[in-house]
Amino acid sequence: MATTTAIDTKLKEALPIYEKLKNEWSRKPPNVGKTDELLNALKNLFAEGGFYPSDSSEDTRGLHVARDTLEIAAQCAIQKGDIPAFERALAQLKPFYFDLENRIPESPYRYLLLGLNLLCLLSQNRLADFHTELELLSPKIIQTNPYIKHPVSLEQYLMEGSYNKVFLAKGNVPSPLFTFFMDILLNTIRDEIAYCMEKSYRQVSLNEAARILYLNNPEELAEITKKHGWKLEFDQSFRFADNQIKHENERVPADEIATQMIQYAREMEIII
Amino acid sequence: MVELSDIEMKEVDPSSGLQTTGTTTATSKDDKKDADTLTLDDIKEQVRTIEKAVNSKESRFILRVLRGLASTRKRLNEDVIRRLILFYYGSNSTEREILLGFAQSVSQPMDVDMEKTVSSPAPATNEKQSVSRPQTSRARAASLPEVDLYIHLIVLLFLIDRNSLKSALDCAKRLVDKTSVLNRRTLDLLSAKCYFYYARIFELNNMLDSIRPFLHSRLRTATLRNDFEGTAVLINLLLRNYLHYNLYSQAQKLVLKSVFPDHASNNEWARYLYYLGRIRAMQLEYTKAHQHLLTATRKAPQQTAIGFRQNAHKFLITVELLLGDIPDKATFKNPQLKRSLDPYYQLTLAVRAGDLSRFKEVLDTFSERFQQEKTWSLIIRLRHNVIKAGIKMISLSYARISFSDVAQKLQLDSPEDAEYIVAKAIRDGVIEASIDHEQGYVQSREITDVYTTREPMNAFHQRIEFCLKVHNESVKAMRYPPKKYNEDLETAQERREREQEELEYAKEMADDEDDF
Repeated sequence: MATTTAIDTKLKEALPIYEKLKNEWSRKPPNVGKTDELLNALKNLFAEGGFYPSDSSEDTRGLHVARDTLEIAAQCAIQKGDIPAFERALAQLKPFYFDLENRIPESPYRYLLLGLNLLCLLSQNRLADFHTELELLSPKIIQTNPYIKHPVSLEQYLMEGSYNKVFLAKGNVPSPLFTFFMDILLNTIRDEIAYCMEKSYRQVSLNEAARILYLNNPEELAEITKKHGWKLEFDQSFRFADNQIKHENERVPADEIATQMIQYAREMEIII
Repeated sequence: MVELSDIEMKEVDPSSGLQTTGTTTATSKDDKKDADTLTLDDIKEQVRTIEKAVNSKESRFILRVLRGLASTRKRLNEDVIRRLILFYYGSNSTEREILLGFAQSVSQPMDVDMEKTVSSPAPATNEKQSVSRPQTSRARAASLPEVDLYIHLIVLLFLIDRNSLKSALDCAKRLVDKTSVLNRRTLDLLSAKCYFYYARIFELNNMLDSIRPFLHSRLRTATLRNDFEGTAVLINLLLRNYLHYNLYSQAQKLVLKSVFPDHASNNEWARYLYYLGRIRAMQLEYTKAHQHLLTATRKAPQQTAIGFRQNAHKFLITVELLLGDIPDKATFKNPQLKRSLDPYYQLTLAVRAGDLSRFKEVLDTFSERFQQEKTWSLIIRLRHNVIKAGIKMISLSYARISFSDVAQKLQLDSPEDAEYIVAKAIRDGVIEASIDHEQGYVQSREITDVYTTREPMNAFHQRIEFCLKVHNESVKAMRYPPKKYNEDLETAQERREREQEELEYAKEMADDEDDF
């Protein structure tokens, strides 16, 4: 009995802050610092009041407030560009989305945030985690929901190597929040393309290199060329011929062969 | 594995049901009676084996009984069950009433007509039996919880086969309650079997997610008690449970945090490796996944367990395709697998040809089936393998080709797409070529002779390693007669002692000579 009353009092405490938070967040543009303050206050209350999912309480009001707050927290984290905070918020939200699916009505932000999470994982090249998250969603959602479909098709483009489609996809993001991760993703992709260029091109002119890398700004290009150690030749082009020569007829790998043979001998010994 | 045996059972049951209901002629009735008595005798024999196992503390015998469970299961019917219960439980035992209640819950919805024909002569024989050997059997059942569990398990199997899920659920709960109270090492194998069917029943009732805490707590106990069979079964049940709901991260954590017992039976190993292979495949670790799935198919029973092998092969083929290999055609021709693997055969053909439109077609036609079999998410990843195969074929057949032609051949949207894709293929080592950006073409390089590289050596090394591993594992899997090993060791020690003595003797002799 004592715990339920504790929740009630905490709930009463939390509600006004929650209202304030909602107001603050819906203001355009939202004041990120202020929202953050309110969020922290609310989160403390949740931890004390036990609003987080448990099997015992039948009361779903607390769950509602907690979920909506966490959703705002996740979006706020993106505004701030704070990826660890976003991941934390998502980790807390997941039980609400999956385990409590039947107890509280579905949130309108559910797929938006899950899609953002997928993109976040993709932009950090955490493909195993990406697929683990994807498995939790039904094939139908993956194929139809715009928020989910976007990162999924991005992953496919990346695997194939159709990098220009990824650049095109930046133009039609399903929500402005996606842009933050898209920018990170594009930077990772530029590196990938640069590696591909080294391996596959014999030579490429300065202007073309910029075009292939989707860069308009000469400074950014200079940064990438420096990072990869490309040298600009006299005719304003890069040459990569060195990278492609196969080192054939290398010396006999004596060490490796010796260890293998000794290993075979040992195993044979055991068998006999 | 289970699903299939259940299907089999369903096929068998109606025919035997028909036989029982249609017992108008006296001869068939007698036949059936004989078969029942035979079954009953077999079970009694099994019970004796269990008693022997308990007395001699050799769990090997119990293993033998459980191995026979599958064939016993097929021969069960109401009459056998009733006589079995009446035989082993005293008339005033509450257990008897409860088990009989379960057994009767099945027969009620069944044909009434059969009740009439069978029940009139049956009570007479039953009573005779329970009267003729009253004391010994009663005392035994009470003294040995193993026997009690075994009979309870048989009743449960019977209920599952007769599809009376509600009472099977109650029955399973009771059974598992019994196992948790007792702490006897001889029970380990039996209780492992009980957990398995307990989870199965919950799965049939669609309540799989509710038993996770139970399984976890049992797993803890089993690990602490060093009950390896129980641990193995419980880990597999949990993995199955997680994968049923696509909870791969939880499954992955369980695998990381728990140690699968080395001594577990081959079947449990096969299951475990299958689940492990699925988890790894999902996490894009295809090489490992391939290894696990391959071992799983090899460890699985070769004649029975068709369902398990079908499933494992489905994943194995998908993973092989993802690795860029083409599965052996013989797999698809295997008569037991042929039908269920047909969609995967179509898929393989599409990937091999590098034909995107055909791949899409296959994906559309079998989409639902793939989703049901949970290979869908792996299969959609195959798209880039199809493209790679296509690029490879183009690179082999053309010395020089423009990007617009590549795009057209691969059905890509634009020449720019083609350029990026080809560049990535070159970087990934799919083809040997270089790109001329200004002119917009790709030029294939001379193919180097593989035999001048270290490739063949590495391939041989891999195969030799595999053979050695198989040998070592099979040595480990063999069963050695108990204490034989010890004897050998003692003789070796004795010999050493003898040699030592001889040496000392010789030394003494030498000393003697010196003294001289």
